[in-house]
Amino acid sequence: MHIMEGFLPWQWCLIWWIVALPCLMLGIYQLKKVLALDREALPLLGVTGGFIFILSSFKLPSVTGSCSHPTGTGLSTISFGPWITAVVCAIVLLFQSLFLAHGGLSTLGANIVSMGIIGPLVGYGVYRLLRDTSVNVYVTVFLVTALADMFTYVTTSLELALAYPAETGGVASSFILFLCIFAVTQIPLAIVEGVVLALVFKYILTLKPDILIRLKVFSEEKINAARSEC
Amino acid sequence: MAYRYTLELLAGLAIVAFCALFLYTSATMSGAEFAGSDHVGSGLIAKLSGNPVENFQPLIPQWVPPSGEIEACLFALQAAVGGILVGAVFGFWAGQARGRTVE
Repeated sequence: MHIMEGFLPWQWCLIWWIVALPCLMLGIYQLKKVLALDREALPLLGVTGGFIFILSSFKLPSVTGSCSHPTGTGLSTISFGPWITAVVCAIVLLFQSLFLAHGGLSTLGANIVSMGIIGPLVGYGVYRLLRDTSVNVYVTVFLVTALADMFTYVTTSLELALAYPAETGGVASSFILFLCIFAVTQIPLAIVEGVVLALVFKYILTLKPDILIRLKVFSEEKINAARSEC
Repeated sequence: MAYRYTLELLAGLAIVAFCALFLYTSATMSGAEFAGSDHVGSGLIAKLSGNPVENFQPLIPQWVPPSGEIEACLFALQAAVGGILVGAVFGFWAGQARGRTVE
């Protein structure tokens, strides 16, 4: 999902930076607030951030004959919401643009918007929709993770389509072309990521259910039910 | 209790199915290079804009790993940072949980 340095016109770089910056500021404010209220949230932030570091470094082969990487943003989205997730993603993307030439500083805003903001926002919407229903906790984690991953790549496709509309068909036609490269490649990866992070969530529930209850990630009844299920 | 390892089983199955899909794709798709989708996307940008890929120059100068090996090493370093974080916290929580059981 990285838009490489120099591959986005400067006007679009500026627009995506303008979108990303207020979200990052809100994320930093929320992060300070969460950590001031409960220092025990810090290890959970370490785990959820750690998975973004790990999974976004895996370049995996897919059905289209090209490789892509998962995003790992689902756990952070569920535990801390989309804005704090944007801050963690910004750190990972900055590392990748400075030391790996994956993405760049000018396109960092666009990459933060896709991986750190829109993907997690879609995931968070699904989480809020399912949180207080009878849907199983692990199914919720699976859906949030898989959809946050998929919509990261849908957003990258849209960002590129807006900057490079096709001669015939304009933005819509270009969007479909980019979707075929990014989103189709991502489908199997998003499914595996969803299942694996649902398993990781089970281990968090087993070892540290109290922090999830205190952060009001799920209700105590739902967490206890999930602990007895698996 | 009967479903205790359902998620472990599902995760294992998903990983095996993913590997099988890769083997099938690489065996049936002739000419598949398995390059990064970022690079394939860059190729489409070049096609849509009518500019060859080489004409896209960084807007902000960027350090590029001098070889694929160094790039792989830095990716491994990134994964290691994440792994250390996850391992340290899970270890800390497991220790706390054990302490509670002993008490």
